[in-house]
Amino acid sequence: MLNVALPKGRLGDKVYNLFKEIGYDCRAMEDGDRKLVLRDPDGEVSYLLVKPSDVAIYVEHGAADIGVVGKDVLLEGGNDVYELLDLGFGKCRMAEAAPVDFQENRHRPLRVATKYPRIAKQYYASICREIEVIKLNGSIELAPILGLSDVIVDIVETGTTLKQNGLDVRREILPISARFIANKASMKFKEAQIRDIQEKLAAVIMEKAGEKK
Amino acid sequence: MNTMNILSEQERLVLLLRELYQGHGCVRFPMRRFEEYALYLENKSFLTSEQVLSFTDGNGKLMALKPDVTLSIVKHARRGRECVEKLYYHESVYRASPTDHEFKEIEQIGVEYLGNIDRCATGEVMWLALESLRMIGREYVMDISHMGLTAGLMNDCGLDGEAREEAFRLIRQKNVHELRAMLTAKGLGTDTVERFAALLTISGTVEEMLEKAAQLTLGEASRKAVEELSQLYSDLRALGMESHVRLDFSIANDLDYYNGLVFRGYVEGAPRAVLSGGRYDHLMAKMGKDADGFGFALYLDELNSLATLPSRDEVDVLAQYAPEDDAAKVLTAVKRMRELGLRVLATCGEAPQVYAYRHCRFDGERFVEVE
Repeated sequence: MLNVALPKGRLGDKVYNLFKEIGYDCRAMEDGDRKLVLRDPDGEVSYLLVKPSDVAIYVEHGAADIGVVGKDVLLEGGNDVYELLDLGFGKCRMAEAAPVDFQENRHRPLRVATKYPRIAKQYYASICREIEVIKLNGSIELAPILGLSDVIVDIVETGTTLKQNGLDVRREILPISARFIANKASMKFKEAQIRDIQEKLAAVIMEKAGEKK
Repeated sequence: MNTMNILSEQERLVLLLRELYQGHGCVRFPMRRFEEYALYLENKSFLTSEQVLSFTDGNGKLMALKPDVTLSIVKHARRGRECVEKLYYHESVYRASPTDHEFKEIEQIGVEYLGNIDRCATGEVMWLALESLRMIGREYVMDISHMGLTAGLMNDCGLDGEAREEAFRLIRQKNVHELRAMLTAKGLGTDTVERFAALLTISGTVEEMLEKAAQLTLGEASRKAVEELSQLYSDLRALGMESHVRLDFSIANDLDYYNGLVFRGYVEGAPRAVLSGGRYDHLMAKMGKDADGFGFALYLDELNSLATLPSRDEVDVLAQYAPEDDAAKVLTAVKRMRELGLRVLATCGEAPQVYAYRHCRFDGERFVEVE
């Protein structure tokens, strides 16, 4: 039996459909059950529905053998897991954004509001820019408008929310997408099954990428 | 009753491991709990966490509670290759937890061979490591790799500095997709990139994997690495110990310290590696010792997650007496039961949270069983 951690919500639904396509379906998932642990008595996998930012934690500590998580969460958590596959969906970018008319004062630390302090620190360290991190949990776009910060570091999908708030992308930090991850010890004891899922997922993704082109 | 019975599962394991190591002629290395802070400052990247518990001694010297044992052993060990020193330790180390940054006392037991590490000594260390895993009493796997293989490939294509570290980070995650992208962005040819990718994706039996790895290697260093792995595997097979051994080329330690074989041990039920080891000639050289070093540590704290049964403190007899009872008579009655080898908890009033097989009350002369 393999435990699969999925992020609750839209991404989780999408991932489940992918798992169903490669033969790992679970009737309990489709019954619209509100349970958090879903398993079929004769199924090979059971699904855990957890908060997206917790998926990698479940996998790292072995409560789940495998999982699917956004690269942003994975980088921010710094979890010690195997990252086996880029699923290629849930695509967006991590970017630095600032008010359209923002002009930087390089004589003082840059004030950065973000949900991702670890990613922000790593990025600015790599470009040798001193910063002051302001950790927020939501509505990041507000921070520069109210003068709480100079810039923000956040996920950008279409850029509409930024535009509506008078912000603009200044620098792209890195591309983000959903990743298939595995616990390091599970990989030793359930390798055949995990590899099987990995290979089938890779095949489905290749096929879909082909269709799009 | 048997004295071993009062030991916890882990204490028993430690005694069995000590017996195993001493049975191979290993000598326990005597150690203090602290070292000069400078030792850790100079070898910061050897440590798993940069945080060290420091304090100032009477002379104003900055000291630290040991976050690691190997550094202390290497520092105090003799130099020279005329023989091999076989040492073991069972010590506490003090490390900050990566999750809550609080310092924790962690119990470690391990083996270090220093001096002239030949093929025989190498095989013996691996034997001890495998035997240590077996003694935990669960299904287990030992993953083995060789730093020369990955490092050799990187040297062959001129990958160094930050790029090399980044590549090692991705290799440890088995992150083939980002490794491919990164190496391609560095301007490496498809052939080279695929050689790296293949290293992480080849599978099969150990023999098959060694054969495939041999086909991937170009330079002297990686060729030698594959040869050493083959030798070790055939030596372990001669001992009948090969069935739990696997190859996993994603294991990578810090090249500044490690150079040869590296390995990680896993037991079913523990989410992380419980044993870790490798060949650290570079560390020996850094510390000015003209000798080889090879050893491993077993992280006893990682075994905590295996202890799923609730613990129970128990006695044979719960002996209750009243405040007005004669103390000398009560103690004499307890003494009689102790002489019979019974475990007795004498208590006045309510029984504390200890499980008792029998419940007795003092009747003025002796303890009598009650329902």
